[in-house]
Amino acid sequence: MLLVQLIVSGLQTGLLYAVTAAGFAMIFGATRIFHVAHGAVFALAGYVFLSAYTAGFGWTGGALAATVIAVAFGAGMERFVYRPIQRHEASFFTVFVASFGVSIIIQSLIEMIFGRGFVTLTTPLAQARPMFGGIYIAPMFWIVLVVTLVVFAVLWAFLRFTRTGIGLRALSESPELLRAYGLSAQRLSALVFAIGSVLCVPAAILKMAITGMQPSVNSHVMLISLASTIVGGVGSITGAALGGLLLGIAENVSITLLDSQWSEAASFIVLFAFILLRPRGLFGYAVTR
Amino acid sequence: MIAYLLNLSTLIAIFAILATSLNILVGFGGIFSVAQAVFFGVGAYAAAQMALNVTPDLLVDALVGAAAAGALSVCLALPALRVRDEYFVIASLGLQMLAVTIFIDMKPLTGGIGGLVGIPVPTLFGLSLANPDAMLAACVGFLVIALALTRVLMRGSFGRSLMSIRDNESAAAALGKNPMVLKTLAVVLGCAFAGVGGALYSAQIQFVNVESFTMDQSTLIMAMVVIGGTGTLAGPLVGSILILLLPAALSFIPGIPPTEIGAVQQMIYGLVMTLLMIFRPGGLVAFQAWRR
Amino acid sequence: MTSLLSLRGLNRSFGGLAAVSDFNMELESGIVTALIGPNGAGKTTIFNLITGNLRVDSGQILLQGTDITGLKPHRVARLGVARSFQDLRLFSHMSVFDNIRAATEPTSWFWQGGEGEARRKRLGRVEMAIERAGLASVARARAIDLAYAERKFLSMARVMATGANIWLLDEPASGLDPRSRAQFVNMVRRATTEGVTVLIIEHNLDIVTEVADRIAFLDQGRKLAEGGAAEIMQDKALAAIYFGERV
Repeated sequence: MLLVQLIVSGLQTGLLYAVTAAGFAMIFGATRIFHVAHGAVFALAGYVFLSAYTAGFGWTGGALAATVIAVAFGAGMERFVYRPIQRHEASFFTVFVASFGVSIIIQSLIEMIFGRGFVTLTTPLAQARPMFGGIYIAPMFWIVLVVTLVVFAVLWAFLRFTRTGIGLRALSESPELLRAYGLSAQRLSALVFAIGSVLCVPAAILKMAITGMQPSVNSHVMLISLASTIVGGVGSITGAALGGLLLGIAENVSITLLDSQWSEAASFIVLFAFILLRPRGLFGYAVTR
Repeated sequence: MIAYLLNLSTLIAIFAILATSLNILVGFGGIFSVAQAVFFGVGAYAAAQMALNVTPDLLVDALVGAAAAGALSVCLALPALRVRDEYFVIASLGLQMLAVTIFIDMKPLTGGIGGLVGIPVPTLFGLSLANPDAMLAACVGFLVIALALTRVLMRGSFGRSLMSIRDNESAAAALGKNPMVLKTLAVVLGCAFAGVGGALYSAQIQFVNVESFTMDQSTLIMAMVVIGGTGTLAGPLVGSILILLLPAALSFIPGIPPTEIGAVQQMIYGLVMTLLMIFRPGGLVAFQAWRR
Repeated sequence: MTSLLSLRGLNRSFGGLAAVSDFNMELESGIVTALIGPNGAGKTTIFNLITGNLRVDSGQILLQGTDITGLKPHRVARLGVARSFQDLRLFSHMSVFDNIRAATEPTSWFWQGGEGEARRKRLGRVEMAIERAGLASVARARAIDLAYAERKFLSMARVMATGANIWLLDEPASGLDPRSRAQFVNMVRRATTEGVTVLIIEHNLDIVTEVADRIAFLDQGRKLAEGGAAEIMQDKALAAIYFGERV
């Protein structure tokens, strides 16, 4: 049952994409900042984890280091790059170029330190074992499933039940409302960047453990996050997550139909289809003029 | 040494055409594309095929390159321009990444990963351009024409209409301008220019391969426009000169291993672009100094 | 008195909230009609429906008998309907001169039609608009560098230069000092003597008194009253609604 096998592996990829995309959608939805450097956060988290892990700090040490760096970077971008830009001329162009510039810096740094090739973490957890019906599943799959579901559950609870979470949702729906209520839009912005960046961490660690990474993962993740947000619909975090899931599955399933090098292209084809036929995505607001 | 300088100057002229082409989209049109290298590539492949199979005449090959790139750009423009700016960037990002796969895949047209080799020496009006001086002169000639054409168009009603759409699309439409048509024309024009650059490139290097048409290349072109300054004629020129001189400048700095020069370069562009956006968004040749 | 623009049964809601309800109006040509009413009454929405920036839920818009409902904004503009925006929407990086000149060049090809003569006529309209809006001293300045009153007048100048015979003006005089207001009133009066039909949204009742021939009063998306300027201005019940003293 090759198809089922591919769907399973697609699910695994898709779940990781979903978490990352949700992070981006959260940031974009709340601040309207086109934070393409989100891909760089992902890359940073993965590589920092790898360094800490191989330096002997193990999974927890590595995860901790990755989280700290991701949050610092995300919040740092907000404070030192986006905020100064928004003070004088926050056109789409300037924000995008600045974010893009930073992502290039990070990618080049990673290239210089780790080289251009793939690096990975070897772990028996990533080895596939036969499970029911002749399908091979690695223990890693269950870890991915559990971790991402936990992350989503925590996120959902946070957004729904905590004061800050509700504030964040208000920020994305109507920033003016927030200002009227005297809540600090600035503090919430910094927070949303921190949280959005944290969402990358589990996904990056797992990706490092499963397939490994190369420096260009930055652009790939950036594109997937953007594409998921469009497919899911701008303004919807759930949408972006579903979009990520869909793209992950599409990428894997398409291997049956196309050459392996085209499987990556599959996500772009889905993306173009949505832009052409349904720009508002699955759940978003209408965006045609 | 002279050969090196001549080659570098020719490349500067070619990239200045590329930067100018992107400037039409980004600077004058407010259309953010990160896929300019794709059209550079299409022009290069098309011209190379012409040179290999029909004629090495540079003018003909350049026009073919322009036509191929321009035609393809319509396919990108029509769907993508219907939606907001952010969507166009994303679509162009996707196109850029998709294009590399396509270029590798279409072996008969592009030579696959190996690329197309043995492109004949270009000629122009019957004269051979084997001499690097002559080739440089020809490329500068094309650059001058590109700049002149850009100036005439941007100073005329087309430029005004395009810029009004850039500055405020709804107000422009309220004055009777059709945003879709104007933006599509701008995209076709800009991408056609990029195609010309591609044709010149394939004639100069006499070899085309997909490595020259990746995201890195698009980033480079974008850096030239952003750093030099958008919306002016001189900006892309300044940008292309500075950025192409960078590798040479870097080789004088001790302590950078030659294998790392690429990454260091990229890091410098990224840094300069980001700093510029924070402090001087108009670029080096801002069309008027930013107050505040 | 012919009806230049007919609005029939216009309806438009946003997510359940009716912004415009069953709005009917026949715009008489050659005069100034004012749309007044409290904030949120749906006045700008009506403009957006006419110009095609928003789609009507139901209803019809006829321009000299031709149905223009649902046409795209640039098409409506080319049919002779010029519009200004409450938030001005100037072309910030272009000069005053180019802002106005852009208004005279509606076609989207690489060049405008008709050489020489037509071009001179277009430039003539630009000069006329600059002169009437009093912007001669800042003609070469960038729109983004202008003072408040100059920006408002640039917005007007763009409308003037289009040569359109219907003007939809959205709060064109808000925030202007008395002298500028007087200049504005003159601009509008002069236009109507030249055959332009004006529909104006305005909160400042002094200006409305000075400029309007007819007034339509809107509240919560509905037209409550319409008539000659003088009679509407004296209606006590309307005044109560306008100033917020609801019964």
